[in-house]
Amino acid sequence: MAATSELDRVSAIILRNMRTPFLVLLATYAIGITGMALIPGEEGAEGHGRMNLYHAFYFFTYSATTTGFGEIPRAFSDAQRLWATICLYIGVIAWLYAIGSFIRLIQHPELLTALAERRFARSVQRISHPFFIICGFGDTGSLLARGLSENYCTAVVIDSDTERIKALGLRDYRISMPGLCADASVPKHLIDAGVTRTDCRAVVTLTPSEDTNLKIAVMARTLNPSVRIVCRSTTQQNREYLETVGEVTIVDPYEIFARQLRTAICTPLLYAWEDWLVGALSTDLEKPPVPPLGKWILCGYGRMGKAISSALKERDIETVVVDPDQVPTDSELHRVMGRAGTSTLREAGIEDAVGIVAGTDCDEDNLGILLSTRKLNPLVFSVVRQNHHENELAFSGARANLIMQPSLITARRILLALTAPLFLDLRIYLRSIEGRARIGEVVDRTERIFTGRRPRFWTLSLASAGTAIVSLQRRGVPITLGDVLRSPVDRTRRLEVLPLVLQRRGTSIMLPDDGLELTDTDTILFCGTVPAGRMLASSLQNSYTLYYLHTGHEEPRGYFAFWLAKQRRAGDRPARS
Amino acid sequence: MNLEKIIFGFFIVLALTLNVGFVVGELANPGHHSLWMLFAALLVSLLTTGLKIGDRSQIGAVLLSTSLVSNLQLILAVSVWAVLEGGMDVVPGHDKMVAIVSLAYGALVANGVSVLMLVSDTLMSRR
Repeated sequence: MAATSELDRVSAIILRNMRTPFLVLLATYAIGITGMALIPGEEGAEGHGRMNLYHAFYFFTYSATTTGFGEIPRAFSDAQRLWATICLYIGVIAWLYAIGSFIRLIQHPELLTALAERRFARSVQRISHPFFIICGFGDTGSLLARGLSENYCTAVVIDSDTERIKALGLRDYRISMPGLCADASVPKHLIDAGVTRTDCRAVVTLTPSEDTNLKIAVMARTLNPSVRIVCRSTTQQNREYLETVGEVTIVDPYEIFARQLRTAICTPLLYAWEDWLVGALSTDLEKPPVPPLGKWILCGYGRMGKAISSALKERDIETVVVDPDQVPTDSELHRVMGRAGTSTLREAGIEDAVGIVAGTDCDEDNLGILLSTRKLNPLVFSVVRQNHHENELAFSGARANLIMQPSLITARRILLALTAPLFLDLRIYLRSIEGRARIGEVVDRTERIFTGRRPRFWTLSLASAGTAIVSLQRRGVPITLGDVLRSPVDRTRRLEVLPLVLQRRGTSIMLPDDGLELTDTDTILFCGTVPAGRMLASSLQNSYTLYYLHTGHEEPRGYFAFWLAKQRRAGDRPARS
Repeated sequence: MNLEKIIFGFFIVLALTLNVGFVVGELANPGHHSLWMLFAALLVSLLTTGLKIGDRSQIGAVLLSTSLVSNLQLILAVSVWAVLEGGMDVVPGHDKMVAIVSLAYGALVANGVSVLMLVSDTLMSRR
């Protein structure tokens, strides 16, 4: 339906713009050809020597297009030459006009948009596997697309900024990601992007405008009642509204940032582990930076500052806020008015503070705060917020104890929600009282299993991949999680794979034990290296390999071998007893 | 070391070597191809098929099918020798010899594939 209307639009534009040039060409040809056929030529053997219509058309064609073969089929009379001169001029002018119109047509912005939309809709139609729709290709959107590409997931991108779509075309993704420059809140564009298809796994809205995000969420929900929606939203009011839309995962970058910061301060080991797992190989698991507990100074008290302050308050960490804005705040808050600088920082008590968060939405200010802090109290633990991805080099040179990028944190969070939703359950568990006790254990296990290669996440459903396990189970060979994780090359070694969450009939088992017996109802979230993942998948397919992994010796293959093995066992037994 | 693997490998390779033993020499020269060799190749090939029956793995299925092909080719070769132009009592003529040896060549290819798969499977499992 959408494609035909698009086609109509394209042909309508072409027809409207090319009608006059076509008529002009037609008239010129008609006049030239008729005249040429009527004007008498040199008298020859055949009589009057006029050109026939076919020869006149041939002559006009080669002269009007400036090819000019000469006087064909025979030399012209003077009258014919006069008409030929006129033909030449009017023909060339008509053609120039027609070509000019055509060039204008192919540069017609409306036609270009219509064609781009058609091309986009076609390339989305060609996607035959599950895909995601990303609306808004800013810092977060492009980081998310990069992460999806690394997991070999396709994303369809819509952004209203031409420059961003051009930037998308220049990225070296592992798989193609079609992009469209359009307003994503228009239903037609969402349909072109495939929101109504069953393959569409989720719509992620990351545009800078809250209202647009809201609109996209509502449109997407109306167009496809079952699609998953991940929506960026920072205000309470919008969040309440989104809840009525239903089944919307709300992503608040400020809140995520604040919670991450709290994790970094309260449970640095967990923060380092997660950071390492989701891709920061530079993180040192052995000695993560440990932020001290005590008085913290927060520079910037916007939406993010508020989120950080309340997150820290939940853990009873004293905070002092430095912010220039005159906003009514609760009386409990200890705050210093003014832009963060040497004097205001001193007033906030930088000398006896243990940590500082340079968290304004301006990168220069944050770097400036870092510099004045180093002068006033070089021992203080500094956390800096990096707003723009392109300032990476300046920040890495600033030697802060912790650099946090809201866009990166948000992108990783969404990526996890899309590709490994079970990991979010694990994160919640590890922050609970019961889970906190196991952080040490899980970090220890991670260090033992991985030898520095980058792990990735994947979810495995044994309902489809567990047929060999079930067939072995029926023959009385129960396969445990530990068996599967042994290396098929040498069962005493372990694959570089860590099982994180096992889901069975609605209940989740966090950090499952090796002794756990597998069933075909299990869904397991693994994290591990790519070659190890391949090994795991291949041993799950082969019941002989599973038997070896479980028992340590080869199962006889074939009836004869089976019979032979039985005979040998029968022969062994009396000898032993 | 695994007794099963030894027996299995022994017969698969023997089927190939006997087959080679039969086909080498001038194609149409009856003096270069011994009936007994053909007979032995057929026997070992049948025996190998028996060993392969019952393997549930992917590679086992393909091994069995190559074995069946080699049986078929060798049985046809023996049948041609036994039935056409006066049977096994007379020395086969030029045309008949060409047919027999060509069929045995086909079986040779199937046996070769079998051995190739056996070797690659062993290398792949790496234990």
